[in-house]
Amino acid sequence: MNISKFVLSFILSITLFAQTSWAQMASTEALFKQPVTVSAKEKVIQFSAREDVSKILEQMDVDPKMIEARVASMTDEEALKIASQIETLPAGGSSLIGAAVFVFVLLLITDILGLTKVFGFTRSVR
Amino acid sequence: MSPRSDLCGSTSIEMISSYWQSRTSYVPRLSRDELDGRTLIPGKGGTLQVELVVTARANGLLVYTLNPTLDALISELEKQHPVIVLINRGYSWYPLWHYAPVTGYDSKNQTILMHFSDQPNEALPIETFAALWKRSDNWGVVLLPPGHLPASASAKTFLRSAYEFEKMGMRDDAIIAYKSALRRWPKDIDILFALANAYYHAHRLSDAEQSYRKLLSSEPAHPLALNNLADLLCRTGRSKEALRVLDKAVTDNIKMQSIIKATRKEIAEGCTPLRKNQ
Repeated sequence: MNISKFVLSFILSITLFAQTSWAQMASTEALFKQPVTVSAKEKVIQFSAREDVSKILEQMDVDPKMIEARVASMTDEEALKIASQIETLPAGGSSLIGAAVFVFVLLLITDILGLTKVFGFTRSVR
Repeated sequence: MSPRSDLCGSTSIEMISSYWQSRTSYVPRLSRDELDGRTLIPGKGGTLQVELVVTARANGLLVYTLNPTLDALISELEKQHPVIVLINRGYSWYPLWHYAPVTGYDSKNQTILMHFSDQPNEALPIETFAALWKRSDNWGVVLLPPGHLPASASAKTFLRSAYEFEKMGMRDDAIIAYKSALRRWPKDIDILFALANAYYHAHRLSDAEQSYRKLLSSEPAHPLALNNLADLLCRTGRSKEALRVLDKAVTDNIKMQSIIKATRKEIAEGCTPLRKNQ
């Protein structure tokens, strides 16, 4: 564990204890998970997931001004999912730029057969 | 409105938002620039499903993940609930992922109407649609103003979507969603519990008390509700009644036991009074 992680978990443990004024309330969260409250260790993992997501977004050229708002709007589970699966998650929006001619022709044919739908001008024969 | 190639996620949210804005009192919270800035990952050339969900919620819409079936999709469309789907326009080995709002189903012609590219209600043969949709394991989300319920919703899944508002600090939206869920599932214990807790945290203490009591009238031994009601009673100066309520809370769950113990200790030591909001 490097210094910054240590400092981070220290700060986090303080904020965790600061929230214990609600220790006597059973949270709605209890309806979804077996443990009634999330353990401090799990909290640290989830917290570092948020850090990881910020880094990933930065590396992937996301507008730095937006990163904080994006990460802040995620639940722990959502942040964890991005942090752990970013490589394999699909991203809707890919445009055709860069597609080889072969793929282009193939897509045109399969578009007409109704197996794909890339071009606005094709009408499936189905 | 035409989808901009990398921004089909943002554009889909925007289209659904304006759909609801024109039909209900719903008001979007984010501008187009904010929607774009929150959804696009240039390094991935598009938008992740997770971030589409997160951004739609931040825009004030409840996000319900559809059951992955054509039947569930059609039941939403029949209620005039547009659905954003993720489809693969290319191949599994050359994926071209794309989000598009599905707006209708034409049973006569067996077509799915969707805002595929730049024109509304473009008709796609249902077989073609099904083939493209299958490649995302039939992923789709219904986006609704908090007072509306998905046609295909189950109580538990809906509660989770509503609770996500609360987790993100949008408590008023969560309360609206819980209340509308209770209209469909009036006896649902979990929804009552979530609503009572939301009222409690919003310091709407009489509403909270009423909801806990309503829950306990159909499930008198609910340990979580008993505990929270005891806490509320104590913090509103009724320690004796609080103890009587807490005595009924029995559970095998160790963490729950420690919460009950904490409540008991708190009652013995005197509770911090809560300020009422109403």
